Amino acid sequence: MDPVKKITKEDTWRSDDLKVHIEAHNEESKRRSKREEEHRKYRDGESLDRRRRDPDRDAKREKEKRRERESTREKSKHRDPDGDRNQDDKLEDIREDRYKERKRERERDNRHRDGDEEEKRHSRGEKETGERRRDREKDRYKDRDIDMYSQGARGTNREGEKDRDRRRTERDRERKSETDRRKEERRDGEKDERERDKERERERRERHRARESEQQRHEHEEKQRDGERRERRSDKEHSGHKEKEHRRDREDREKRRRDKESHVAHTSHSREAEQHHQESKESKDYFHSIKDGDREKAREREERDKRREKRHKEASESKRSDRERKHKDSSGHDLSERINRDKEEPTKIPQLTWRSVQAEMSDPEIPVENEETEENKQSSQDRNDYEEDFEDYEEDFENVDEEEDDNEEEEEKEEHDKKLREDKRELSPKRREEIEAIQRAIDEENARIYSARSKPTTAESAVTQSERHSVDRSRTHGKIIDFVSAKQREVSQKVAKKQKQRSEELLRLIDLDFSITFSLLELPPVNEYDMYIKNFGAANTKQAYVQCNEDNTDRDIQTEEVNTTDKWTQHPPEANAACGGSRASEDSADESTSRINTNSQRLTTFLRSAAQVMAVLIEENMAESNSVKRLRSQTDALSFSDGCIQLNTKLPFLHGRQVSLLQFSQVQRQTLLSVHPPSSKSSAVRLDSETIICVWNIWEPSRPQKILLYESEVRCCCFSPGKVTLVFAGTEIGSVVVWDLREHSGTHLNLVVGKEVWTLRYPTFSTDAVLSVVGHLSPVVSIEPVLATADTSLKSTLTADIDESLGLSFQLGSLDENGVLTLWVVVELHKGNDSGSQTDLGLRPGGKVKLLHSSSLQTTEKSPQDVIMGFGPPVSLQLKFLPSDSNHYFIGTNMGLVRHGTRHSLKVLPKFYRSQFDSCRPVEVTALDFSPSGEPLFLVGCSDGTVRMHSVQREDPLMEWSGCSSGASILSVQWSQTRPAVFCVLDAASDLHIWDLTMKDYVPFVTENIHNDRVTAMAVFGEPAKQNTFSGVALAKQSGKVEIQYFKESLTVPNACDTEKLKSFLHNAFLI
Amino acid sequence: MDAGASAYLIRPNYKDKFKAVLAKECIGEILREQLYGAQYDPEEAPALSRALADSIKNKLRDVGFDRYKLVVQVVVGEQRGEGVKMAARCFWDADTDSYAQDIFMNDSLFCVAAAFGVYYY
Repeated sequence: MDPVKKITKEDTWRSDDLKVHIEAHNEESKRRSKREEEHRKYRDGESLDRRRRDPDRDAKREKEKRRERESTREKSKHRDPDGDRNQDDKLEDIREDRYKERKRERERDNRHRDGDEEEKRHSRGEKETGERRRDREKDRYKDRDIDMYSQGARGTNREGEKDRDRRRTERDRERKSETDRRKEERRDGEKDERERDKERERERRERHRARESEQQRHEHEEKQRDGERRERRSDKEHSGHKEKEHRRDREDREKRRRDKESHVAHTSHSREAEQHHQESKESKDYFHSIKDGDREKAREREERDKRREKRHKEASESKRSDRERKHKDSSGHDLSERINRDKEEPTKIPQLTWRSVQAEMSDPEIPVENEETEENKQSSQDRNDYEEDFEDYEEDFENVDEEEDDNEEEEEKEEHDKKLREDKRELSPKRREEIEAIQRAIDEENARIYSARSKPTTAESAVTQSERHSVDRSRTHGKIIDFVSAKQREVSQKVAKKQKQRSEELLRLIDLDFSITFSLLELPPVNEYDMYIKNFGAANTKQAYVQCNEDNTDRDIQTEEVNTTDKWTQHPPEANAACGGSRASEDSADESTSRINTNSQRLTTFLRSAAQVMAVLIEENMAESNSVKRLRSQTDALSFSDGCIQLNTKLPFLHGRQVSLLQFSQVQRQTLLSVHPPSSKSSAVRLDSETIICVWNIWEPSRPQKILLYESEVRCCCFSPGKVTLVFAGTEIGSVVVWDLREHSGTHLNLVVGKEVWTLRYPTFSTDAVLSVVGHLSPVVSIEPVLATADTSLKSTLTADIDESLGLSFQLGSLDENGVLTLWVVVELHKGNDSGSQTDLGLRPGGKVKLLHSSSLQTTEKSPQDVIMGFGPPVSLQLKFLPSDSNHYFIGTNMGLVRHGTRHSLKVLPKFYRSQFDSCRPVEVTALDFSPSGEPLFLVGCSDGTVRMHSVQREDPLMEWSGCSSGASILSVQWSQTRPAVFCVLDAASDLHIWDLTMKDYVPFVTENIHNDRVTAMAVFGEPAKQNTFSGVALAKQSGKVEIQYFKESLTVPNACDTEKLKSFLHNAFLI
Repeated sequence: MDAGASAYLIRPNYKDKFKAVLAKECIGEILREQLYGAQYDPEEAPALSRALADSIKNKLRDVGFDRYKLVVQVVVGEQRGEGVKMAARCFWDADTDSYAQDIFMNDSLFCVAAAFGVYYY
């Protein structure tokens, strides 16, 4: 036995055969799928049978496999490419094969008994479509069965029918024997080869036995057949049985095919196994079927079988039987049917999913299909064998020989073809790769199967046998699933391979790396309180608190008291304060206030006034302490005096000077001017040629308040009508000068005598330079302020009003000796010019007050020529303005007359006021004074010692007193300020007469003669106010002393009846 | 069988590139749409997450990202105050592959959706 060699032969042959059917592959596969559908219907019923048979077959196959494994690769290499050929190649091959086949057929046909044309046709068709043929055979088989069973045995088919029956029974028996065999296998199933050998021997024995009992059985079968026939006619069961048989074959084939699909090399094994199996069957069949004395032949054949390789024989047999079957078929009337079917079948294209899956894998499918077709053919041949064994047995040998020859011939051709094909195959490396892959897969499969099978074979016990059986069963059962899964596996393997390749190529191109860890979500745990609040808030509630024992709420506050102070500020400062606070004490408030005032101009004013008050108080204290005694002595001397104060004229610069004039202010009645003309004796101080005017406060007698200087002799002087701020003076040289007492002492000459500093003031304004044209050309004898609308009844208030209403603007009248009355306007400048004024030449640098010339009146021209003829030029001596109407002026002349006129040159009556006795005589009017009480009365003192009292309305005097002064010149006549009926008269004999008209109207009430120190000047002062009424007279002594004599109360305090007495007196006087 | 053809498109076209911002917008939109006012229900959560993942995937498919394999992961959890930490780590080609994720949270639940786009060469 040289199986390897034969197998190769077999393979080549089959691959050749395979090639023949390549063309029919597609249709075949379709049909096969259709068949499978049919199979599936019966599968359940058949599975048992199949399984029963499987182990045996598997065992054989396995053995074969083992045997052939070495040659597998080579073979597959040779064989597989055949299936891989392209369609064109296939077609070519097919054409070639067809041609060869035809040739062969023809040879065969010639050799066959009946060389029908049909047979040729049939064989041609068979060659063209092996699958179709198979189907046809199948169908024919069925048809035949049906025909046989339905129509009864035909004459021609009698034997065949018998054979069929016989075969059927044999199959049954075979099945039994197989079960037996299986039992045996169970018993001694560990060594397949040996077992198979034994089996074969056993089979042989059985066959012998079968042959021996053939006769009996045949008879019995004859009987049975009749019954069976009846049965078959009535029911389909038997046909079903046949069908089963048929199906079993097909399923075996299918299984094999599946195996082949998954494992190409395997297919050959399985096929071989199948061939073995079939061979054994056939051999049995042979033995069974040979009943007519063919046993020798059968035996010979059997021997030959043993001698020759079984498969080879089988293949040849199958071929032979095929041919035989064809003969038989050709004779049958089924042929036409068959042909029709052939035509119909291609049109029936079953649509099966399995087929579609298969279509995808067309390439690997091809060899499988081919092999399958081959197998199908085989199986069909097997079937046919049963029928044709007996008929063509002898021919078989010939045919076999021929076939062998043919095969050899074909082999040669095949080899040639193969070379050609391989050349072509060279062109498709892809295929080769696939094939290699498939081979690898096959190897793997083999290994897997071997490992699975080798295990159970080692076990000897029945248990293991059964196990193996179950394993086998499961395996066979699994193989059905494997069919699909293997497909898929292959697909997936391919895909995997492809992907692997892709990945290999791609991985070279790309870089894979681990990404950083992405944090997809980080949700921190919520703490308890938040969670509570969250849930709380979601529950539509709110938080609240409850206080129990509500009234007992305890509260505590600990704070320190805050110190608060209110402060205020004001800018610019108002009412002596710029800031302050409510909490501040009065002292501090004052402090702050005073501090604010330090810079104020008001302070200066205050200090100035306060200083005066303080100075006065100090003076009084001093005077009281010092001169009480002296005053008393003097009081004793003067009968009218209540007290006396002596002004301190013992000043260095006043030394040796007499007092020429004393003048009190009409408003500030304590203020006194004393004019000290230069004396003949030279003094220590160099002020000799200059007139000194001292401003005194009689309550401050120690020193003069201001000291005024002027270069020439001052003839007259007066105060400003309001406050004592200005001093006016008329001079010997005809000029009018003004002193502004408010000027600061620093701007004036300061003379230091001893320890005291004296401020010597020069005039602020002088008309010397300015008034060359309009000024006085003769010495100014009198100067008098013009009081605008003075009201006599309201004198005190009047003065205040004047002060305020006029301010410093008022008029001033001055009269010189020639009788020129000049009116001046006093103008106060708002701002002084320290560097001196360009326009106001008389103004002192820094001075603020100046005089403007208003008008001038020549009062003397109107003097009647007859009155003044022979007596020299008229001289004006005194000027007074009517207190009630300042337009009226009264001028005393040297002719004993008082001239009356108005400033506006209006004619007024009486023009003159003259003495009672003689109208015109050269008597100087030395004094002229209006009554301060408001009565229109004035006193005139004359140088001849007479005193007259005139009423304004009348030319003649009311009273005229001539004898009281004993002829001495009257120096001064002045009314008392407090009592309307009292006046004082001073004459040159230093006699002072005080008249009280209410007491005595013909002689003075008091006459006092001061002899020891003659009185040169006198001025009466007094305060008419109800309280603190005082009055007195200032007396300037020859020695230069100034005494202030206070009148006694009787002379000072006015009586209620004074005014009436005066009126009655005056009335009486008029009457007189 | 074009295994021999070795022309690979190893980089996506710019217009097809997986844009995380765009994807995030899509994810956020879907989450907001479908989870607005949603309450956590343990019975429905699996279906919800699956539905979310599907809709996100479909939406992203509509947006484009050709040749991308999309993996969408949706995690729906209940908000009970516990801390949660999720992280992802990928072995991929950082040049082409990316991911986008968005978070939706309300009082009852939180939802994390992450879409990974892996380029198919």
